[in-house]
Amino acid sequence: MAKELTSKSYIDHHLTNLTCGKTESVGWTCDHNYYDEMGFMAFHVDSITISILLGVAFVALFKLIKLNPADQKPTRMQNFVEMCVEFVNENIKSIFGSTDNKLIGPLALTVLIWVFFMNLMDLIPVDFLPELTKQVSYASGIVDDPNDAYFKFVPTTDPNITLGMALGVFILTIFYSIKIKGLGGFIAELTLHPFGKFAIPFNFALEIMQLLAKPLSLGLRLFGNLYAGEMIFILIALLMFFQSAVFGVLGLGLHLLWALFHILVVSLQAFIFMVLTILYLSMAHETGDH
Amino acid sequence: MNINATLISQALIFAVFVYICYKYIWPPILSTMEERENKMAAGLEAAKQADDSLEEAKLTYEKELKEAKEEAANIVEKANKRSSQILNDAKVKAEAEAEKIIESGSKKLENEANKTREELKQQLSSIVVETASKIIDEEIDEKKHENIIKKAAEEI
Repeated sequence: MAKELTSKSYIDHHLTNLTCGKTESVGWTCDHNYYDEMGFMAFHVDSITISILLGVAFVALFKLIKLNPADQKPTRMQNFVEMCVEFVNENIKSIFGSTDNKLIGPLALTVLIWVFFMNLMDLIPVDFLPELTKQVSYASGIVDDPNDAYFKFVPTTDPNITLGMALGVFILTIFYSIKIKGLGGFIAELTLHPFGKFAIPFNFALEIMQLLAKPLSLGLRLFGNLYAGEMIFILIALLMFFQSAVFGVLGLGLHLLWALFHILVVSLQAFIFMVLTILYLSMAHETGDH
Repeated sequence: MNINATLISQALIFAVFVYICYKYIWPPILSTMEERENKMAAGLEAAKQADDSLEEAKLTYEKELKEAKEEAANIVEKANKRSSQILNDAKVKAEAEAEKIIESGSKKLENEANKTREELKQQLSSIVVETASKIIDEEIDEKKHENIIKKAAEEI
């Protein structure tokens, strides 16, 4: 029962995750027809798989390169890796001043490289991986209709991924706030400004909003940028529906232009995510003088 | 595209990767970089020290060269002085010697002349006697007239 391919179904297909979750009626399933029934207990298998693979790629890239000792000429890959570390360190230094926080460096490096890799997936032509999944799952009999096999391969166009990372950063900010300022100090920060102790509920409402806005904007900014970029790739790909050579060439040209421009977005968003991560952590380290 | 458990799992995966980076990736890279930095700093320091000591060596060298030049000039001057003194001495000595030689020569000459004169006197007196005896045809007893002859000779 192959559905008719319309531009709407094409876009929908591209924007749907391969989801596995628990349902009341059939238990654990990866069938998208039960998507609404899964509720919260659902996992975007594609996003998770790709992000883990890219994380492993990051670890492998930075771990498996040969580090020549200091008295020898560094290898090329070593230069690259050290350049990344240097870059991260410089950003930390410019935001933090100096810090003895040993976690911030690795955290920022992981964010930078991992998010960059995940964003980079956006430059893979939009149909490659989804079509591949369609054909493979149909051929192997996992799905009856190839259009039921979903695969969304840019993890950062999934708000769960970006907000999940933002959540990690948020937890760290809370942790360091309490660690540096003490629980009392943290609560005081939340309740005693901007209007002093006579307006505690109002202060709290303001500050808690400010606190929660940070991770939310952090995650949604990355998601929004990449989602929009992906969307435009899909829309350009829609030109192919006209089945005409002119639109085909136009589509190719637009794809190229948007991909070139997107290289900027991809690296810039990874950089911004890293800088904001460092910034939020440095704010957690600030004490007093409010 | 709902928010679901993916968010939690991604947060956990994120934590795992940050931990891996914190534990296994960051420290070796950073320590290599720091080590190299230290080594470079040490190298630069050593280069600076070498420069300094080179400068110092140059100064010492220049000082010693100057001293050596002065000493050489001194020695030359002394040698010049000494040589002129030796020359002078030699001159004086040579002049004295020459005078001495001349003196002794003239003395000798005088002696010789005296001697010759004496001999000539003798010869002359005998010639005179012989001539006179020939003239007067008479043997003059030399012994008898010795006094006369002597007187005559002295008169010559």
